[in-house]
Formats: sequence, C-alpha cells, structure tokens
Amino acid sequence: MKIFKLLTLFLFLFSFCSSYAEQEKLEQKITKNLRCLVCQGQSVHDSDTEFANSVKLLVKKKLNEGLTEKKIYDYLKDKYGEWILFDPKFNKKTYFLWLLPILLFVIGGLLIFKLFIIRKN
Amino acid sequence: MASLIGFYSLVFGICSSVAIIIFSIQNFRNPKKLNEKILILTFLQFFLVTISFLGLIISFVNSDFSNETVFNHSHTTKPLFYKISGSWGNHEGSLLLWLLVLTLFIFLFILKSGKQPTQYRILTLLFQEIIIIGFFIFLLKTSSPFNYIYPIPEEGLGLNPILQDPSLAIHPPILYFGYVGTSIIFSSSLSAMVVNYISKEWAKHIKVWVLISWIFLTLGILLGSIWAYYELGWGGFWFWDPVENVSLMPWFALTTLIHCILVLEKRLELTSWVIILSITTFTLSMSGTFLVRSGILNSVHTFANDPERGLFILIFLFTLIFLSLFVFFFFHKKETNNKSSFFLVSKETSIILNNWFMMYFLSVVLVGTTYPIFLDVISSDKISIGPPFYHKLIIPFLIPFLLAMTIGPRLKWIKSDLSDKFILIIFFIISLLLSLYIVKTLKIDFLINSILISFVFYLFFITLRDFFNKKYNNLSQNIAHFGFSLFLLSIIFNNILSSEVITNLKVGDTFKSEKLKIYFENITQKNEKNFESFVGEFVVENSQGDVFIMKPELRIYNQPNIATSEAYIRTSLFSDKFMTMNLVQNQEYFNVRYQIKPLMIWIWISVLMITLGGLMSIIKKNEN
Repeated sequence: MKIFKLLTLFLFLFSFCSSYAEQEKLEQKITKNLRCLVCQGQSVHDSDTEFANSVKLLVKKKLNEGLTEKKIYDYLKDKYGEWILFDPKFNKKTYFLWLLPILLFVIGGLLIFKLFIIRKN
Repeated sequence: MASLIGFYSLVFGICSSVAIIIFSIQNFRNPKKLNEKILILTFLQFFLVTISFLGLIISFVNSDFSNETVFNHSHTTKPLFYKISGSWGNHEGSLLLWLLVLTLFIFLFILKSGKQPTQYRILTLLFQEIIIIGFFIFLLKTSSPFNYIYPIPEEGLGLNPILQDPSLAIHPPILYFGYVGTSIIFSSSLSAMVVNYISKEWAKHIKVWVLISWIFLTLGILLGSIWAYYELGWGGFWFWDPVENVSLMPWFALTTLIHCILVLEKRLELTSWVIILSITTFTLSMSGTFLVRSGILNSVHTFANDPERGLFILIFLFTLIFLSLFVFFFFHKKETNNKSSFFLVSKETSIILNNWFMMYFLSVVLVGTTYPIFLDVISSDKISIGPPFYHKLIIPFLIPFLLAMTIGPRLKWIKSDLSDKFILIIFFIISLLLSLYIVKTLKIDFLINSILISFVFYLFFITLRDFFNKKYNNLSQNIAHFGFSLFLLSIIFNNILSSEVITNLKVGDTFKSEKLKIYFENITQKNEKNFESFVGEFVVENSQGDVFIMKPELRIYNQPNIATSEAYIRTSLFSDKFMTMNLVQNQEYFNVRYQIKPLMIWIWISVLMITLGGLMSIIKKNEN
C-alpha cells in the first residue's frame, strides 16, 4: 500500500510536468483556470460576457508575445488580484488549504492504524 | 387573506409543537406505550404547516403583492407553474418547505416505528421537536414569508429567469427530502444513545432512513447538475461551485454512513463512529441550507447585511452541535466486547478503508469551500478555489479507493480469503492493457490517466462479471458499484473526448473546418408571455456527412430584464451535440458555441443506477 501511494504521488507529480504542444489547447487551459469576474461561478472560457471575451483576447495576445503560462497568470494576478485564478498557488496564504486535507488523511490513517494495533495486542 | 391564514397556522403550529413536547415528557416518564395524543399532535403539526405552505402558494398563484415575499419573487406574467415553484425559490419560502418536510418526516417516523421501544421513539420525537421549534422561531422572527407591505405594489419584481425551469423547480424539494431525512438520523442516534438502544436492531431500523435520505439527496444533486448542464449554457455539469459543494458534503457523509452502518448491523462494531457520522451529516445538511440561502458563499458581506438572521443561524447551529456533543460524551458507552478484532483481509477492513477515503474527499471539499471565507474574514485577501484544486487533490486518491471498492465486496465478514484470485488477476491485466491501448490511441500524455482508467475498467469488469456470478448475490450493492464505475468512465471519456467550436456568425454565414460545417440559416422572433425569444436555425454537417439542424434560443425576459441563452441539445447514446448562441454587443453577429460531449447521457444513467442500488436495498429489507 505504501509503495503504491508513493508511486501514485510520483506519477501525479510527473503528470504536471507534461505540456501541451498546441497553443490553442494551452489557451483553453489558461482561460478555464480564470474566473470570469462579472459572472457567478463561471470560468472565462465558458463565459461570453464582454469581460471574458477581452480576457480571452488578452491571453491570446500574451501567448503570441511569447509569455509562458505562469507569466500570464502572474500578469493577470497583478492586474485583477488573486480572485481571478481558480487554481490557487502554493504560498504562505494557502499552506493550510493544500495541506489540511492531506493532514486529515494522515491523521485518519493513523487512527485506523491505532485501532488495528490496539485490538491485536 | 391566504397570507394571513398562512401566518396564523404557523403560530398555531408552534403551539402544537410545544404541546407535543409536554405530552412527550409525560409519556417518557411513564413509557408503557405511546400516548395516542402524540401521534395526533404530530399529524396536527404537519397539517398546520401544510396549510401555511398552501397559504404561501395561493398568495403566489394569486400574485398577492401585499405579501412581501411574493412581491420580491413573482410577477403577474409568469406562467402558473413557475408562480408555484417560485414560492420555494427564495429564502423564506425554502425555509418553510424545510419545516414542512421536517414535520412530515417526524410524523412518518412515529407512524412507522411501532416496533421500536417506546422511550426511544419519544426521545427521537423530542430531539426532532427541538429542531422543529428552532425552525418555527427562525421563520416567524427573522424570515417570515408572510410579511405585509403597504401600499400594495402594482407589480412584483419577478423571478430570476434561469430559475424558471422545470428541473430546477423540483430540485429544491427533492434535495430537502434528502437534507431533512438526515435530521431523523441525527435525532434517532442521539436518542438511541440516551436510552442505550444502539444495537443491531437499531442499525437495521435506521438504515432505511439513511437509504431514503441518500436516495433523495443523490437525485437532488443529479437534477441540479442536469439543470446546470442545459441551462447555464457552457456544457458542463459540475463546476465545484460552493453552492454545489455544499450539497456534495452531506452526500459524502451519508454514503460513508451507509457503508459503516453495515458493520454495526452485522458485528456491532464502530458504534461511536456511526454516531459521529450521523451528527456530522445533519450538521452539514443544515449548514448547507443556511450557507446557500444566506448568500454568505458569494460574499461575506451579504451575510453581514442581515446580522439578525446570521446570528440566529449561528446560535441555532451551535446549540444543536453542543447538545449532540453533550449527549455523546455523557451517554455514549464504548463498545464492551473488546475481544473482537479486525483482520486485514475482511469486509469490515475494506469498509473502514472506504470510510477513510470518503472522509478525505469530504475534507477536501469542506476545506476548499470554506477556506476562502475564512481567509477573507481574517486577512481580507480574496482567493478563488476552482476545479483544478479539487482535481489535484481528489483524482490521485481515487485509485486506491477504486481498488478497495473492487475487492472489498468480495470479501467475507470477520476473516476472509480472496477467492477467484485467478480471475481477478486476469481481469486486472485486461483492464490495464485496454487502458494502455486507449491512452495510446487517443494520444493523451497524462500518465495518471492511464492508471486511473485501468482501475476504473477493473471495477467495471469485475462488477459486470458479478451480475452473472451465482455465488455472489448482493445485487443492490453490485448495481450501485457498477453504476459508480460507469459514472467515472463516462466522466473521464467525456472529459478527454469533448470538443468544441466557438465562432461569430451572422445570418447567411458559414463556418468551415476540416471536421465541421456550420451554416447559419435564419433567425425567427417570437413573443411569449414573459419573454421575447429569438430562435436561430443552424445546419451542421460533420465529417461523416451527417446533416442536422440545431436551434439554439436566446430569451430576453421582461421582468427582471435579463437575457438568457437556451442550449439546443441533440442527445444520442454515444454523444450529445450541444449548441448555444449569444448576442455580440452592438453587432449583427452572434457568438455561436458548438460542442460535442461524448457519453453525456451515461453520466445521468449511471447516477440513476447508483440510486437504483439504494432503492433495491430498501426493497430487499422490506422483504426480509
């Protein structure tokens, strides 16, 4: 089980390194990760408001200028604030967000483990 | 007039609740048999709330704008069906609906639990009455649906057009049946603890309520998703939006409860855990309703606009949590049979594994939903948490979860050996090869996909095979698990194989690509009672040479003045074709979005299958 989990974790990390070749797909990916600020709970990609359309054009322009995905996120973050990103970055504001579920998972595992050990002795 | 009757039946309703409490306490001290008056009073309480609810509906039907709720949420030109559904499409009305279901369920509980010990029944009723009275007070004091306004307005403000939809009209009642069902589980587990009735019989009896709530909750979530799919116009069905998450959390807790109550029923183990889960499930359901209805999820500030409501909710929730913790610590007796042990390879171990993962999924959703609220309050930083967060934290964990789900049901209680090892291995190899083949042909470079797909296929094949396995006769469980594998498969392939075209067209234009030709033939305008409709007609030709017509619609509602886009969907067994059109500001062009969504219908069918599994489990219980 342990090896298995390590393996999944590894594969999981690995999958993030892989990248799309085509720009269009990248564009889609980026705009799907952006919140349409004037709608309720829709991504820029899925929305059709003026705001969303202008951001779509902006992403296209920036990609053509040769900016990387991460740079575009940073640029938009500076312009509109972190609220626009659906995929919160791992930083000191979000340590708890990312780690708390994992922590709870580990605690749960320990509790179950304790249950086994105590019962068996 | 109808509002007045509605209001006073609420007042009389609360009187009947107080009477129930008085009689119940008397009866509890002298528990030979249940006092008949109690049954009559619970019916009366239900009856009065029904009258009150009917009062609200009649006010809506008659467009009685002297009623503030009707004024805020209705309009004379609205079709009758949406006038009626509008009565629970708002904060006040939906709380009244909650109360209605609460009183209905406790009446049914008292009616149907004749075989259970009297003290346990009465105490469950008492706990339930605390919740009911809380809702009565909340309704009358801070959110009365029967407030009077003067001078009487000529016309109402109207209902948000995206809510004017058949599946969304019945979505709240179905969801509330699920939510409120958890309150019975909550009260029942508290009272079973106090009268020391946590036993195999209790597990058997409460399991029916768990299943009923779970079925309604599942159906409610399904309806919400279907609505989001065809009404919101972006072709997705789940966005990990806080409002959706809030209904998913009690679902996780209930699903966990369904599994671990089996252990209690068969082996009288995990009693504390079952109780904690019952309390959690109800707390999540109730905070869910409040969170959605108070508007706190969208912005912390709307909550602060009405501090009285917010304060009441918080006090009420904390009272209930405090009460349940109090009961838990003072009355709960630990399992006494310490001799029993869990073996690694056994059904109960796999159920514990299921519980462990389910709780993890729940905590991911809980943290993801509430974290932005806390961060905003503490540091006034606004962050968004969307699909990527949930996918990253949930998908990798699905893999061991699926494995436990495949192997677990095949194991026996207490201690077991894995039978049919040969077949299990053969099927695993088949699944692995199949998924490698698929990943290769589709040129997906996500390695995680291939592992996930092989494990989903594994569950799919094993459960499929078990339908024909005579040794294995737990049909309801098998259907539910098979449905789950089908569900995941449909979602994964839907995700991978979806494609779309977005383009701007005006009448007479043609869009051409290698795979597709879209011709904008014409547009027709119609005037409906409460909206103006523009229906576009598009001729679509795909690479196989199929030609078909798509007719997406744009609606401009008059009250309130909002434009909505109605998707046109052609459903087939293999894929949905989905088209929406939108206005482009100040131009004769329309923004046209055409999507192909494979296996869409199987997502709905598989969820229905999962629900069917639950339904069959209830039927099986009744036969026994």
